[in-house]
Amino acid sequence: MNAELQLIDAQTAVQVRGLNVVYETTQGDIPAVQNVNLDIRKGQITGIIGESGSGKSTLVMAMMNAVAKPGRVASGSIEVSGVGDMMKLSTEQQRRARSTELGLVFQAAQNSLNPLRRIGHQVLDLGRSHGVKDLRALLRKAKDLLERLGLDADRVLTAYQHELSGGMRQRVGIMFALVLDAKVVILDEATTALDMLSQASVLQIVRELHEERGLTTILITHDMGVVGDLADRVVVMYAGCIVEEGVTQEVLTSPKHPYTRGLIRAIPRISGDIDKAVPLSGSPPDMNTYKQPGCLFADRCPLAAPECQQSRPPLLEVETGRHVACFRVNDHA
Amino acid sequence: MILVVASFTFFLVRMMPGNPIEAKYEQLIMSGYTPDQAMSAVRVMYGFIPKQPLFQQFVTYLWQILHLNLGQSISYEGTPVMKIILGAAPWTIILVLTGTLASFVVGVLAGVIAAIRRNKVSGNLITVSGSLLHGIPQFVMGLFLAYVFTTIWAVFPYGAPYDASLTPGFNWPYIGSLAWHAILPVATYALSSYGGWLLTMKSSVISVLGDDFILAAEVRGIKPSIRMRYIAQNAMLPLFTILALSIGFMFGGSIFIEDIFDYPGLGNMLTNAISYKDYPLMSGAFLLITVAIIAANIATDFLYSIVDPRIRR
Repeated sequence: MNAELQLIDAQTAVQVRGLNVVYETTQGDIPAVQNVNLDIRKGQITGIIGESGSGKSTLVMAMMNAVAKPGRVASGSIEVSGVGDMMKLSTEQQRRARSTELGLVFQAAQNSLNPLRRIGHQVLDLGRSHGVKDLRALLRKAKDLLERLGLDADRVLTAYQHELSGGMRQRVGIMFALVLDAKVVILDEATTALDMLSQASVLQIVRELHEERGLTTILITHDMGVVGDLADRVVVMYAGCIVEEGVTQEVLTSPKHPYTRGLIRAIPRISGDIDKAVPLSGSPPDMNTYKQPGCLFADRCPLAAPECQQSRPPLLEVETGRHVACFRVNDHA
Repeated sequence: MILVVASFTFFLVRMMPGNPIEAKYEQLIMSGYTPDQAMSAVRVMYGFIPKQPLFQQFVTYLWQILHLNLGQSISYEGTPVMKIILGAAPWTIILVLTGTLASFVVGVLAGVIAAIRRNKVSGNLITVSGSLLHGIPQFVMGLFLAYVFTTIWAVFPYGAPYDASLTPGFNWPYIGSLAWHAILPVATYALSSYGGWLLTMKSSVISVLGDDFILAAEVRGIKPSIRMRYIAQNAMLPLFTILALSIGFMFGGSIFIEDIFDYPGLGNMLTNAISYKDYPLMSGAFLLITVAIIAANIATDFLYSIVDPRIRR
């Protein structure tokens, strides 16, 4: 886990090292992602979970080096398998890697299309941007994908954005992320705007496509259920830091970080008393939280000890493939 | 709408003090005509009976308009108003259209650059140029250009729309002379409207830049040139409405500009008509300007349905 490590092993699709992203404001830089080290494993579905403002979206935008202003990647490296360090590539090389290596389905995928061009034409624009020779074949691929996603492909390709429903646009967004055979696909709360039924069907298709195409999928959500259903591994973020990371099954059944534990306890059950769901106490991190030297979760943590106020706990491997950032990780087992 | 304006101008024009028809009528009687003869002479000359009650005149007027007959001019005795207007219209239309289109193209391009470089000195300079030019009224701009380029440096000709020694027709020297003489008035139109386009386009581009689909295009690795087209297309939409409206207002501006450059267009014609109390010509000119604005609006609606698919169905 050091920043000098350049070669990434064959199991890793994206390797994030020492990543810091800040948002520039008149009151100084506000950290959005802090000192993140993360390996996204090939062929797996990684869920990134955390509350709003915890830096999930900023983290994946940084993976594509597409953090929008006033945000800025302050330091760190993003090694993408087969591409290189996104931070060191030229603008043109970065552009070429997008969609062909890294596909992103937007948080606001509903509005991710040019309202003045037919979907088909936008597929062609994408092809031309990436030097696709056989545009006809590209359209055929788009059509297959759309049909795979349960849409009337011919209609969709000749339609404008405003002629499609929210769920259809979301699927079109997924098609755009996959049509150039991106190997890493990031879904940034891609199903949040959908009702439960469409969400379930879209996620089902995502899982199938993931398996069929041997994709590496990153799933950003604040829905524990979605992670539990789909993800092989889960990354828990709080206030821009990774607080826990591991195999989904293990993290959900025996969470080691007090925040993860709090999150899981806060889920209401269908059976049993609603009071069994215990909300997290305290309030979400604000600007002052970031300024103090200690653990960012210390103010809300039931286990907080004096040392937690002094310095930040590093993300350490506590078991094979299991990382937790907590000083008191062994004090409550 | 056209009917309302026709009625309005009919009465407005007649509320002005002084009455040239009565003056003519009396002049005829003084020169020996009987009242009946004088009446019919005036009727032949101007196309309506001046002694009729106003309402009667109004109905006759409307009836004639339906037959595209705008009556006869008073100041140019006996010439049909239609003919005078059709003679003057091309001059104005050419000036206004070239001026508007030139400023539209330049202003829109400058607006895009100003929006993209809004945090840089170059972008700010462009914006300031727009704000300054936008603040100068057309007639001040016209006087300024006329003074600088025909008096201080006599670069451009002043007065007449073409060199009087040339024969009008479809030959190069004549067309060249036309263009050369049109540069200053066209520049006046263009410079005074350039700032408006620039500022509108700039704010429009900035709002489109914040749209999700532009960020999405970037994240999908869409080429900068195609992305630029996405931005421009979407940012242009609101400008089409303004384009139509501005063409209408430009006709209004023609009154000052044609007066300054002594150009034989509609504006000049209208100025003359007002000073001679030429009712039919005034009504005709107002009517034409109204029709032009309405036609421009209808054209924009059609144009809109072509450029914006959301309106098509």
